[in-house]
Amino acid sequence: MKIRIKLLAHYQQYLPPNCSSSSYEADVPPDARVEDVLAGLPVPVEESVVLVNGRTPQPGQALQEGDVLCLFPAIGGG
Amino acid sequence: MYGWNGRILRVNLTTGETSVEEVDPRTARDFIGGRGWAIRYLYNEMDPRVDPLSPENKLVFSTGPLTATPVPTGNRYMVTTKSPLTGAISCSNSGGFFPTEMKRTGFDLFIFEGRAGRPVYLWVNDDRVELRPADHLWGRTVFETEDMLRAETDPRARVACIGPAGERLAPIAAILNDKHRAAARSGVGAVMGSKNLKAVVVRGTRRIPLARPDELKALADQVVEEVKQAVAAGKATLRTYGTAYVPPVTNEVGILPTYNFRTGVFAGAEAISGRTLNQKYLVRPKACYGCPIACGRVTRVEDPIFGGEGEGPEYETIGSLGSACGVDNLAAITKANYICNELGLDTISAGVTIACAMEMYELGLIPESDIGRPLRFGDAEAVVEMVRLAGLREGFGDLIAQGSYRLASHYGHPEFSMSAKKQEFPAYDPRGAKGMGLLYATSNIGASHMAGDTAYMEVFGVPKKVDPLSWEDKPRLVKYFEDIFTIIDAAGLCVFLSIRYLFEPTYNVEPVRISRLMEYATGAGYDEETLLRAGERVYNLERMFLVRAGFSRADDTLPPRMLHEPMPEGPAKGHVVELDRMLPEYYRLRGWDENGVPTPEKLAELGLL
Repeated sequence: MKIRIKLLAHYQQYLPPNCSSSSYEADVPPDARVEDVLAGLPVPVEESVVLVNGRTPQPGQALQEGDVLCLFPAIGGG
Repeated sequence: MYGWNGRILRVNLTTGETSVEEVDPRTARDFIGGRGWAIRYLYNEMDPRVDPLSPENKLVFSTGPLTATPVPTGNRYMVTTKSPLTGAISCSNSGGFFPTEMKRTGFDLFIFEGRAGRPVYLWVNDDRVELRPADHLWGRTVFETEDMLRAETDPRARVACIGPAGERLAPIAAILNDKHRAAARSGVGAVMGSKNLKAVVVRGTRRIPLARPDELKALADQVVEEVKQAVAAGKATLRTYGTAYVPPVTNEVGILPTYNFRTGVFAGAEAISGRTLNQKYLVRPKACYGCPIACGRVTRVEDPIFGGEGEGPEYETIGSLGSACGVDNLAAITKANYICNELGLDTISAGVTIACAMEMYELGLIPESDIGRPLRFGDAEAVVEMVRLAGLREGFGDLIAQGSYRLASHYGHPEFSMSAKKQEFPAYDPRGAKGMGLLYATSNIGASHMAGDTAYMEVFGVPKKVDPLSWEDKPRLVKYFEDIFTIIDAAGLCVFLSIRYLFEPTYNVEPVRISRLMEYATGAGYDEETLLRAGERVYNLERMFLVRAGFSRADDTLPPRMLHEPMPEGPAKGHVVELDRMLPEYYRLRGWDENGVPTPEKLAELGLL
């Protein structure tokens, strides 16, 4: 199934080459959990805020077709 | 005394007399410094019921014990006074280079009283204190004023001043220092204007005596090293993008203020982001004194309509002058920011007030003839024009300059003002971050992120992510963040460094390192517990100022939109702020009664009776 992976702030350096927006489409197995997809990303997950469709996912949460998995560094400030 | 200078400069503008006072060590320790000392003096000396723009109001500039020390980001000062916007206390806070220079004159605080008969400025050159005529500066912009003052005093001097907005007593007027840094909120610039005080100019060469300088230096160096390592590891988000990295983040969470907080999702979030700023307008990052982060932005816009150069915009400015007004034109937002700095306006209150006027115009509640032009959401040119008019208090700008509550009330609909205690919301829709809702409602200074920004945990995951949509544990979180932000301010440090590097990354954000730094600087006997208690003491004394000014539970509230209109879309869809559920628990944790008044027991416990 297809989901979108969105990388914000300085994680944009991890976007695929030629990716003009902040997100890209990814093909994941139908039973993929959030953790499974995170394990395959070149992003320091332990220092990150992880969101699925803008909300904090539950541990072990299964992804659904069309979900947006977003990561950004835990920084703060504004 | 160590850390503190222990000296206050009192300036009676009515008589032109100045005097120097010593601070007793116990007061120094118990109230930390900065906003803590400021409220201690104001509470003892003035009637909180006075007219904020009368000579009876007092205006305090304060630095903290860590200002102008080797501690990184020890570059802050605070402006405390009775606010003409809120009628409550202010605590407007700024960095740059002025605060360090001020502390090095040998004074921790300047207290201004009365009203000068003609425009004046204060020139403090170490021990030499002089009130000088400022007739030639009156009417000048912030940038012109600073250039002229450095030319006629000392090119190394630092300047804090007001622009036309402050002179014309706009309740959303700021005090600018180093041209582009602002003690922006609560209309502190209008109080300065009401006193005919155009500027404060400082040149200081004193070193701040430290109780345990070697230990302080070692810990400060360690913190700087940690920041440098993070930068070297490619983690320098704030240096790379400034706070402008935030709009896509808050948009993802569904709390980026859009169309006067009707919604928290904005289609133009990427267009107003740090990435766009870097691609189009960034000249270079800029740091305040002693800061390894450098979140400041030197920018230049080449555009036939919105061209200019200066500093900014920061996130709050983008959210207010941008998305809240439905504007996705970053050139226009940046231009409006420049104008705010030049004329001396708070970008947050200006933006959210224009957003309020836009909504009311579109609903037919403000006639076009009053405004002199259409004022629809998304009209970038209108935002720039309204900011200019507000800074000069001309035409419809006269109403904008009074803030959204007075503007909306003028047309009979205060419910369109997105404010708490009449101060405009910063750029987080609290329906999607419940702690921010409780914070806005209860804050002593009205809606402000600087009063205890729980978005750190609710949105940014610092030091740990909590669910922004739950309300159950937010009373505890808000109380804690209010107290630690009080400590950070009073110490004279910047929040950006402090939260991440000076507090332990536990749920409670324990003030381990900051208490050590405070002890190394002052030798006054600080540890984690005494420091937290001092923060709470200061917060409660500020609250008592409000109580005496006539504030009560009825003022600890939010606009009906936040309480009754569910967020229409996005991740926070369906949510409101459950204020009634959080408020009693918050008061209980604070040791306040059901009317939001500190109990005698709490005051006694804090040594305030």
